[in-house]
Amino acid sequence: MKKALNAIGNYFKNIGIAFVKGDVWVKLSAVLMGAGYMARKQVINGIIMFLVEALFVVLCVGYAAPNLAKFGTLGTVQFEQVFDPLTMTSTVNDYDNSFLILLNSIIALFLIVVFILFWIANMKAVYRLQIRKENGEHINTFKEDVQSLFNEKFHITLLTLPAIGIILMNILPILVLVAVAFTNYDQQHMPPNSLFTWVGWSNFKNLFTDSVTVTFGYSFRKVLTWTLEWAVLATFTTYIGGILLAKFINNKKTKLPKMWRTLFIIAIAVPQFVTLLLVRNFFADSGIVNTFCTNIGLTDFLRNVGLVPSNLSYIPFLTNPGWAKVMIVIINIWVGIPYQMLIATGVLMNIPEDQIESARIDGANPFQIFVKITMPYMLFVTGPSLITDFVKNINNFNVIYLLTQDVYVTSDQLLANSNAKEIDLLVTWLFRLTNEYYNYKMASVIGIIVFIICAAFTLVTFTRTIKGDKEEEFQ
Amino acid sequence: MKKKVLATLLATAMTVGCLTGCGGGAAESPAAEAPAAEAPAAEEPAAEAPAADEAPEVEAPATAEEGTDPVANLIAATTGTVTLKVWASEEDQDLTNKLLDDFKAAYPDVTFDITLGAESESTAKDTVLTDVEAVADVYAFADDQINDLVNAGALQEVVANYTFDVVNENATGAVEAAAVDGKVYAYPMTADNGYFMFYDSSVFSESDVQSLEKMIEVADAAGKKIAMDISNGWYIYSFFQGAGLELKLNDDGLTNTCTWNGPGGTDVAQAILDLTASGVLVDMSDEDMATQIAEGNVVACVNGTWRAETAAEAWGDNYAATKLPTFKAGGKDCQMSSYSGYKLVGVNPHSANVGWAMLLAEFLTNEAAQTARFEARGLGPSNLAAASSDAVQANPAIAALAEQAAYATPQRVGGNFWSPAETLGQILASGNPDGTDLQELLDTTVEGITAPVE
Amino acid sequence: MKKTINSILRHLVLFLLAVVWLIPILWLFVTSFSGYKGINTSHFFPETWTLDNYAQLFLRSDSIVQYNRWFLNTLVIAIFTCLISTILVLMVSYTMSKLRFPGRKSLMSFSIILNMFPGVLSMIAIYFILKTFNLTNSHIGMIIVYSAGAGLGFLICKGFMDTISVSLSEAARLEGASEAKIFWKIIIPLSKPIIVYTVISSFLVPWGDFVFAKLMLNSGIATDWTVAIGLFNMLGKSMIAKYFSVFCAGGVVISVPISILFLIMQKFYVEGITGGSVKG
Repeated sequence: MKKALNAIGNYFKNIGIAFVKGDVWVKLSAVLMGAGYMARKQVINGIIMFLVEALFVVLCVGYAAPNLAKFGTLGTVQFEQVFDPLTMTSTVNDYDNSFLILLNSIIALFLIVVFILFWIANMKAVYRLQIRKENGEHINTFKEDVQSLFNEKFHITLLTLPAIGIILMNILPILVLVAVAFTNYDQQHMPPNSLFTWVGWSNFKNLFTDSVTVTFGYSFRKVLTWTLEWAVLATFTTYIGGILLAKFINNKKTKLPKMWRTLFIIAIAVPQFVTLLLVRNFFADSGIVNTFCTNIGLTDFLRNVGLVPSNLSYIPFLTNPGWAKVMIVIINIWVGIPYQMLIATGVLMNIPEDQIESARIDGANPFQIFVKITMPYMLFVTGPSLITDFVKNINNFNVIYLLTQDVYVTSDQLLANSNAKEIDLLVTWLFRLTNEYYNYKMASVIGIIVFIICAAFTLVTFTRTIKGDKEEEFQ
Repeated sequence: MKKKVLATLLATAMTVGCLTGCGGGAAESPAAEAPAAEAPAAEEPAAEAPAADEAPEVEAPATAEEGTDPVANLIAATTGTVTLKVWASEEDQDLTNKLLDDFKAAYPDVTFDITLGAESESTAKDTVLTDVEAVADVYAFADDQINDLVNAGALQEVVANYTFDVVNENATGAVEAAAVDGKVYAYPMTADNGYFMFYDSSVFSESDVQSLEKMIEVADAAGKKIAMDISNGWYIYSFFQGAGLELKLNDDGLTNTCTWNGPGGTDVAQAILDLTASGVLVDMSDEDMATQIAEGNVVACVNGTWRAETAAEAWGDNYAATKLPTFKAGGKDCQMSSYSGYKLVGVNPHSANVGWAMLLAEFLTNEAAQTARFEARGLGPSNLAAASSDAVQANPAIAALAEQAAYATPQRVGGNFWSPAETLGQILASGNPDGTDLQELLDTTVEGITAPVE
Repeated sequence: MKKTINSILRHLVLFLLAVVWLIPILWLFVTSFSGYKGINTSHFFPETWTLDNYAQLFLRSDSIVQYNRWFLNTLVIAIFTCLISTILVLMVSYTMSKLRFPGRKSLMSFSIILNMFPGVLSMIAIYFILKTFNLTNSHIGMIIVYSAGAGLGFLICKGFMDTISVSLSEAARLEGASEAKIFWKIIIPLSKPIIVYTVISSFLVPWGDFVFAKLMLNSGIATDWTVAIGLFNMLGKSMIAKYFSVFCAGGVVISVPISILFLIMQKFYVEGITGGSVKG
């Protein structure tokens, strides 16, 4: 932490130094960015800087300014359209689209921040040039500068393109999402026809307060609890199951291990959305499994035991809260075990044989060997991927959505009042809020919270892996 | 009439001529009729809609102002290709394609580039509201979505008609369903989107189907099921409305008034519990019904014309349909109510060719198109002339719908209705597993339904 | 004797498990030959067998079923997606694994957290960003959606590159090779397994995604769709009773190439996911 603060302190100190100690060319660079380069005969660099600055000014005037001017209100001119029945054409006024203002303003702010950083870097570079010149050191030609991009500055070359993509697809959308959480963007305020505006923290307040009509707080707690339960269950059942299956197949007593492995892999080679939609119909209330269960008398038996409500003539596999939760976990095991088995097979093959051998000589039974040697080794190697799996399960959209969408109806009235269901994960809930109820403001709030939860898990676990020395281990 | 007192529209004249003259046959060619507009513009002043107080105010059969003809104007003003995108439901593709060809033929002087996309009427809203500007120029939807669509600015108001009189040639109910606050926003396409009772007449007699209790008794004896999508606000409404309880949209167009928890409410909830307790009346989704009817397990179901084909195929000559039965609530027989539904065609105001889109929407919903739609798919026309044909009158499903019409109400309800009502249905259909007090159950439901919209 | 019984039991358990895992797949397969278009709820095997569902997929395109087009669309999107994704992933993983520069570790933590952000959350924003560039309803837009953020998924690939001995690049550096040359001539050839893994796994993305595709390709015109939207659409309320077995046929058809790729990939999958620490 202190190191970070120091770094930031140094960063600004350096600009100060550049300003104070820089000569007239360096100071001129603050206004005309290429000046410092021109003075040191780096003409091409100078021209590029001029062009960047010019482009920025044009963008500011033509793009950033008009959008940012409306950023405070997110627009005031309502959409209006007049249709002329005689010419059969309509005319539209020059209206404000709140969402586009928001989006463009964020892009503009982003560009401005990037430019400021660029400007600072430029100041420092120009000052360094001055010092080099004063010391009589060699000043790079343009060609040498370009070459450095493939040598000591190769990381800049390599990261530029991926960074642009990530900014466009990940960072900007997240910033927009965060901004939307502070607006009243919902079905009553949907551009282009209506405007939306800033509302401060009120959406967050809604999420954490309860009333009978605003049940977001209640639903949030319920959904969050199930999301975490699900993530734990889903991750560990498939993980343990995968290891057991792998051990079972790899056992020397098992004949044709390759064949068995392939049989299980076939199940996951079919695209997930196909199998999940299929399984949903397989277990439908009037589906084939139910027909079968009725025929063999299982349905009647379960009804007598009280596991199936007495007025149902079928097993509500995916329509009753209790049954559905169990079924979803089971189906997820079905989907997940083959993957885990693959990984476990690979890892298990590398378990140091001598350790197991010596344990066996010491009289350990297979179970002890499994707990004392196999599992710790597995956890050591697959630890990071286990955490990734956990976070992926928190966001496991496909399994929940494909199995229950249009099938499952909640029987919890308070959940219903905020469009949630017992089996919803936070992601599926917010997907439904945006896709069916257009409640973008609440979806954004929930999205931010999901993000914080996932980020916390990741930070705790990955910082260890990254900061540790494991990285250099094999090098 | 309004400031633009218009001469009689050519279309009214022509259609009247058509009705009397050619007996409602082939699709008229509006282009060919165009010159007629200049002709005797006096035939009859555009008739006010019947029941003037209630009927939506439409700027009447519109058109030509003092000899100018908008359609001719439009054709003259059109240069280059007119690009239009149309959405029709998956089942309606073949027919719509044919109608599109006819439309192009009707305006031979204009080059069209019309693409047809598939979007189910029942889910049109979901796609439309995501991005209004990306929506097709002309699209079909079910009338329950009209409020949301109008609020989102996804429908062009029908301020004028060009080829026929939308208001007066369609059933009053259909026009009301296409209107919000007295303004018409869409073109009625069918009048059959409500529900009624299908049954297998080899199992039930005509007197059996008068009462739900009797039907359950008979079906139980036969070892068969009666299906209804109880865990769905659209269907569960029929019980509560039938018992005289109220659910309606407030004047703000967003929130609801609901008295389901009022006196008699618990009787209805108890009735649903009793009806489903036997396991004969089962809560079943529409898709499941299709399979279960075909499999022969379901011998009667509450559903709409879209299932007529399945039922007719499965039951053959025994296929029958009638109004919904009565049910016993608090000791007295109540006639089940229903929603009367319509399918409508709307024009996207963001369309680059609004004029042509409106003409196309009219073309897809005119008498000829509705007749063709009935002939191809058995959908009940909303067009009065098309609906009065003998073939339509003889269709059992449409006859049942007409019978039910006396007890049906138009569907006007705010978005907060669906989730709570669906859950109420789910709880009752699964026998109220937590044993919640019925009054409390209804109170919570009503609070959800009537929740304020921010 | 006891040994034989044990062995029989062991294989019996495996057999039962395999049956459980394969029954739905078998159902998919046999239903694809069913003469009845809806869902058969009383018999596992179809009562009438036919190839008509496949014929409908390939030969009888209409405005709802355009399987050939879907397949082609998805294939084109998948090819470009996997090319771009792989290049981006390699660039980032090499930088993070082999180059040392200030801020590297914070950049890594930052991107790992960013990658945890579920895509469904930012869908709407991405939609409107692409719409500003007029890239919705276009396959170029889809390629961007699937591949632009690929750089974030560098972790597995980086883990693999970490295992490539540093002495190789040191030697090359001493001989005066530029970093670019080391990347191109030494690291890339040695990373073949992980490249195969990255290529195949990014190739599979467009075949399985329907959420983004459905949002972006919203014209309603069947010829624009990918296989996933098309198949998903077949199970819609109004379609399922007439298209279920056609859906199954479509599912079988895409499973064939995907299974083959998957079987090729599985070896590399294991190596990749365990951070290269396992040499199978």
